[in-house]
Amino acid sequence: MVVGAGFAGLTAATELAAAGIDVTVLEARDRVGGRARGLQVSDGGWVDAGAAYLGDRHTELHSLMAGLDLKATPTAMRGASRFALGSEETTRDGRFPPLNAVALGDLFERLDELTATVRPDAPWLTPGAGELDALTAEAWAERHLAHPDARLFFPLFLGEMMAADPARVSMLHVAFYLRSGGGLRYLNAFEGGAQQDRIDGGAHQVCERLAARLGDGVRLGEPVHAVHQDDDGVTVRGPKGEYRADVAVMALPPLPADAVDHRPEPPARRTGDRTARGCAVKVHLVYPAPVWRDHGLSGWSVNARGPLLSTVDDSPAGSGVGVLTGFVTGAEAHRFAALDPGEQRSAAVGQAARLFPMLPEPVGFHVTDWVNETYSQGCYAALFGPGDWVRHGPGLTAPHLRVHWAGTETSTEFFGLMEGAVRSGRRVAAEVLARR
Amino acid sequence: MSVDTTAAAAGDPPAGPGAPAGPRAGADTEGVVAMFRRVLESEDVSADSDFFLLGGDSLVATRVLSAVARSYGVELTFEDFLGAPTPGRLAEKIADAR
Repeated sequence: MVVGAGFAGLTAATELAAAGIDVTVLEARDRVGGRARGLQVSDGGWVDAGAAYLGDRHTELHSLMAGLDLKATPTAMRGASRFALGSEETTRDGRFPPLNAVALGDLFERLDELTATVRPDAPWLTPGAGELDALTAEAWAERHLAHPDARLFFPLFLGEMMAADPARVSMLHVAFYLRSGGGLRYLNAFEGGAQQDRIDGGAHQVCERLAARLGDGVRLGEPVHAVHQDDDGVTVRGPKGEYRADVAVMALPPLPADAVDHRPEPPARRTGDRTARGCAVKVHLVYPAPVWRDHGLSGWSVNARGPLLSTVDDSPAGSGVGVLTGFVTGAEAHRFAALDPGEQRSAAVGQAARLFPMLPEPVGFHVTDWVNETYSQGCYAALFGPGDWVRHGPGLTAPHLRVHWAGTETSTEFFGLMEGAVRSGRRVAAEVLARR
Repeated sequence: MSVDTTAAAAGDPPAGPGAPAGPRAGADTEGVVAMFRRVLESEDVSADSDFFLLGGDSLVATRVLSAVARSYGVELTFEDFLGAPTPGRLAEKIADAR
């Protein structure tokens, strides 16, 4: 029995089925994919409303895609960027913001130095872990960043990189996340980095194709409320009934996983009072064509004020339409999510028009609020708050009798990314097979 | 171009902010080579290696500018770096600015 039909759960189920095990996957939503979701913007044109990017180091995802006949498509950007970091908008070649380069360099040097100290396989064993884990990223910035440009850029960087609000995330988690994803430079880069490619046609297709192969074994609309174990097996209960299994794999983000009624109770919880939801709202603005390109602009922008803290050209190749994806992250995501749909639209469309004055009225407008998604409780991934790694880290992958744990937050490699989810699915399948 | 092997072997820039200023472009080149090697995590750097052809990007370039400011007391801009993306030419910029 696998609970959750995202990348982790479906990878695990696929591997278990291939080993001859009878697997059922229960999915709460009426779709598979978890934090990856496709959004159709034109006839044949799809964009990613959730997880989107991958790089060459994401080897498990690449091999999974190859087996499913899915291809990567480059995110390569051409043209100048737009920045709204001071009193007015500016245009510059490349992606480097009009901020003091030495101050940003000091920030990145400090982050790199800190990242290098992290024990990637066991962050709680990092030298000075207790002290670093007690500190929020905001407190760290107050202590270490003197220049106003570094202080301005740091929250934008954390928002873009990991959808984090600096006031809520542990600095050990920040350093770990950067290390786990391949380091500051790899994680930040499009070309040659973790954003080098998207999945042609949308990331959700990985899950749809895996689910199609599992056939009737995947059951949609079956949220799980309780997982009760006894000497002979596991009873998994939801509103539609109950299932009996030898073993259960919980392939859920840690916050929803902790909301399930487990009996007996696990020796340790997976989250605490300060574990926060990843703060990401994705906005898609659809235009008749990517008109910014005719003006030498890439569609990339970085903005000190919201709602759109950054934008990127996500126009599906060959679709004709132009799509600007706006990222609303960190504390801004909570503010934006609380607006009514009309306010969201006028704020986002208005901001896009100031950044790209050549834009006509959008022909499509979509808001995907991951912060308030019941079954994800945040995106890109859970944000470990102060004390979480030291308290919960050591038990994240430890099986609880017949219950095993998966999900990108259980992977110390590429934590928070699709790659981490796939690796966790493979790890948990191997654990379950080793029980026999 | 003189080669200061002791500085290269030490793997660190040869001068601190308090070091005596002067026409030490040769020594600075070695210092900048060491910075490139450190941030690019590659030994394959010489005085005329282009930072961006070695895989450097703007984020990593700012780390070099930060190291330059710490070691030589000289604040260069990102545009300075784009115009002088090799250790030899960046060392000239540093010498000009001191």
